[in-house]
Amino acid sequence: MDTKAYIESGIIESYVLGLATDEEATELEQFCQQYIDIKHAVEDFQLFIEKQAFENAVAPPSDIRNKLMATLSDEFAKEEDNNKTGAPVISMMEDNTSGAGNIKTKRIGFWKYLAAASVILLVASAALNFYFYSNYQSANTKYQALLTDRNSLQANNDVFRTKLGDFEEAMRIVQNPDMLVVKLGPIPGKENNLATVYWNTKTKDVYIIPTKLAPAPADRQYQLWAIVDGKPVDAGLISDCNGVCKMTNMPRAQKFAVTLEQKGGSPTPHLDQLYVISQDI
Amino acid sequence: MPETEKYTEEELVTLLKQRQQSAFSYLYDNYSGALYNVILAIVPDRDLASDVLQEVFVKIWRQCESYDSSKGRLFTWMMNIARNASIDMLRSKNYQKSQQNRELTETVYQNAGSSVTNIDRIGLRKIVHSLKEDYKVLLELSYFEGFTQDEISKMLNIPLGTVKTRLRSALLQLRELVKN
Repeated sequence: MDTKAYIESGIIESYVLGLATDEEATELEQFCQQYIDIKHAVEDFQLFIEKQAFENAVAPPSDIRNKLMATLSDEFAKEEDNNKTGAPVISMMEDNTSGAGNIKTKRIGFWKYLAAASVILLVASAALNFYFYSNYQSANTKYQALLTDRNSLQANNDVFRTKLGDFEEAMRIVQNPDMLVVKLGPIPGKENNLATVYWNTKTKDVYIIPTKLAPAPADRQYQLWAIVDGKPVDAGLISDCNGVCKMTNMPRAQKFAVTLEQKGGSPTPHLDQLYVISQDI
Repeated sequence: MPETEKYTEEELVTLLKQRQQSAFSYLYDNYSGALYNVILAIVPDRDLASDVLQEVFVKIWRQCESYDSSKGRLFTWMMNIARNASIDMLRSKNYQKSQQNRELTETVYQNAGSSVTNIDRIGLRKIVHSLKEDYKVLLELSYFEGFTQDEISKMLNIPLGTVKTRLRSALLQLRELVKN
């Protein structure tokens, strides 16, 4: 290869100044390894350019150096840490000699401690969060249980209050001086049954206390009858009332009787199902 | 060449690769003027050129691992970084604004067609502007504005081979001018 012609073609200059195409550059780098002349030509031109640049050097503004060093100060400090083998904390304490670099190292050390402290705080905070959350959960469970207890107590209380109210009502009815007490006695074959009718002589209101009636089967119900002029008149069904059941108002009656009828009552009593009956009033 | 040289280039490169701050300070103190010259040839505005210089040294510090001494001298490597950063600056939006929409390529085209030389170019650029028109345009577009030979071929509507040979001739002539 005619290295002289190649060298004098201007490709060397083009390459060194960064103007050559990729193919030209690859080719030239290959030639550099093969032909020492070409390698030397490249080196010569590089030196030539360098010399020119130094001869025409222009001093940059003086503040650029400071700005540059400030920009890179963090990276310098990091490198200083890396360059010192061993524990960085110890080396930081020993390093009291190198002026500005030292301050930067210390600053980095400060940030390190701050970062470490932050991490510790974060972990502690997370642990506390967990602890408080567990406490909260257990307290919440207990609170829910208490709430349930309270509700059931309240419900019981309501039941008792209602029952008490019913009994007070019953007492009021029983103690009313206008009340006529009519005892309903058992008939033969049903000896164990007993009931009491309270009939207000002024208002004609009728109440019954089913003192002792055999429990009615599920599909049947006791019904009270007033006997008016020898005929049975429906005086109402005895349902699940506490103590005293208020029945149908009855202006007149000579007797009261209770029969067991099908659920919902009957228009006329089934006398074979008669349980209790009163004397003539 | 720095006159008060403490380190050889090999020593300096070794220390830089070991990421020694002192080596970097030395590098700045000894090479910043020459690199500033390279930058100013491309970015004439001194404030902007100073910004580029800073950026170039940051790049040198961060990329010195990638410098391969078998491929060329340290200064050549740094000079190419400086030139690329300068061209990036020329192409940045800020620079374009600061030039008040004075499209650079247009300037070149206008200059190409006239004998008016650009004012106050320093150093290398001044010499380039003393070359004949054909050479001047090619060196302007390639070295100072960073267009590839392929791009120049399309812009000037000249075959790539012609761009290649003409650019080389221009460089050879430039070299002779610089030498004398």
